[in-house]
Amino acid sequence: MAGREEEAARDHTPGSARPRYRVLAEVMGRASLPGDHHRLTLRAPEIVACAEPGQFLQVWCHPPEEIARPPSAALLRRPLSISRLRPPGHLELLLRVRGVGGALLARKVVGDVLDIIGPLGHGFDIPSNLQLAVIVAGGIGLAPIPFLAATLVARGVRTVLLAGATEDGRLPYRVERRAGARATVPELKALGVEVDYASEAVEGVVVGRLLEARLKEFAAPGTQIYAVGPRAMLRNVTEIVNGRLPVQVSLEERMACGVGACRSCVVPVLGAKGPEFATACREGPVFYASQVDWERLRDDLP
Amino acid sequence: MTCPDLTTRIGAMTMKNPVMIASGVFGYGDEFLGLAPYGELGALVLKTVTLEPRRGNPPACRTAETPAGMVNAIGLENVGIEAFVRDKLPAALTYGTNLIASIAGETAEDFAACARTLETAPVAALELNISCPNVKSGGMAFGIDPEASAAVVAAVKAASGKPIIAKLTPNVTDIVTVARACEAAGADAISLTNTFAAMVIDVERQCPLLAANTGGLSGPAIRPAAVYRVFYVARAVQVPVVGLGGIWSASDALEFILAGASAVAVGTALYADPGAAHHVVTGIADYLVRHGVPRVADLVGRVRLRG
Repeated sequence: MAGREEEAARDHTPGSARPRYRVLAEVMGRASLPGDHHRLTLRAPEIVACAEPGQFLQVWCHPPEEIARPPSAALLRRPLSISRLRPPGHLELLLRVRGVGGALLARKVVGDVLDIIGPLGHGFDIPSNLQLAVIVAGGIGLAPIPFLAATLVARGVRTVLLAGATEDGRLPYRVERRAGARATVPELKALGVEVDYASEAVEGVVVGRLLEARLKEFAAPGTQIYAVGPRAMLRNVTEIVNGRLPVQVSLEERMACGVGACRSCVVPVLGAKGPEFATACREGPVFYASQVDWERLRDDLP
Repeated sequence: MTCPDLTTRIGAMTMKNPVMIASGVFGYGDEFLGLAPYGELGALVLKTVTLEPRRGNPPACRTAETPAGMVNAIGLENVGIEAFVRDKLPAALTYGTNLIASIAGETAEDFAACARTLETAPVAALELNISCPNVKSGGMAFGIDPEASAAVVAAVKAASGKPIIAKLTPNVTDIVTVARACEAAGADAISLTNTFAAMVIDVERQCPLLAANTGGLSGPAIRPAAVYRVFYVARAVQVPVVGLGGIWSASDALEFILAGASAVAVGTALYADPGAAHHVVTGIADYLVRHGVPRVADLVGRVRLRG
């Protein structure tokens, strides 16, 4: 099966062996996006120089100098995917306001400074013989996708993006619907990828259907499936592909340290000696679907 | 006076300053490599290990953030003592400061077996985790019982020549009795506190947020309660006390020292600020200069009670 070798040889070098930096990054730009999403552009050349798609940052939500005193809320950093690089030294974060941490970050303005640590975690593998990349992403799962898609396109890999949301308004981007044509997302299309978009009220199903419809077309050597989104969606994608193609999934979990020390964010995987836990922050967040212990993986993240 | 003496001793272990990293937050040490110069700290207490590897509690979720704190129920997930010595200690050694191994078990003999394995390992001291609230057997079950606590200390004392630190749980009616029992059994130091038993409920789902249902609260939220316990324990025992629980800044650490702690440990704060413990060291030095105190040891237990 295509990709097995890559799966077997997957580099489990601990994140700490790779370069990562704690930097004070200035907010260079911000934008409010649909669906209560926000985009922050940060200046962080050290991180931009070594970041890989799928990696994340640990972000202190308060002003940097306030780290000298404990805050009563948002005590921990927030893990945020690197959404896109804007070389030479800028990167973008995409966030959705859900809790107090997101609300604090959403209020940042140009000129503010963020205390960030990164790049962290193990991102997406991009095999050297990759011909076709099919990205399946739902909702806020789109956060790391521009970085991944732009990287693939820059390497000359044909890239198809199947995007979904429970409703158009939940997407961080504007959806374009024209009579007689498939719905699309112009901002994602501008990355140089083919975009197929659909929305449906049931979480995790709609992109699976897009994938199912085109699976035969995709089933060729040199293809990788990349999936980011709710657990139900990842599970659905894995079942549809059913081992015929290598699938990489990004697993989100509640984190505390972000560097593999506290073991908060573990996910069940199938290790060499049987079931074990791997940290989403260090060994992940990206895993091959074939490594994940789907029976033990919980879909109902609180 | 420009350079106050921060030297601190716990049994045969000498530390260049009284600031440690608490067990559990720091993993086995390599996870934080490069984020701060941890070799500058007095000691690093590594994640608790047991004789056999443990998978820990179920995931999703093991941690919940709470006001000025966090509740965790990791469940002593660890690689086991053999892999700890073989795979983990070498990386931690590169920091070049005292390493303290934290050990746990389901019986006093488990603790002793861990201690024997570590006898020739490059760790400066052993911390006995008799206070983890997140395991069904062992852990806090020892720490809530003075006799059982003493039995663990005595078993390790008989098995090891290394300094022994008994880490106590605050989840008891009378922590002083437990501390005295550990001292009498041969503990070279008493460390307190571990986390406070806690629970977080997701009201929309009407179920606990943590997969283990309950966990242990750490962070600034527990600091005053930990200082209180350190104050009473330090007055009751002769051996040094290591104070911890919600230390974020030098000022926080100084509360523990004035209350009677000879050393302090930084835990949860590290997740926000990987350099938090370093700020505690420099802040203590600045404080000593400002107050004309030549040695940090002179400050231990010097709180002046009112009335």
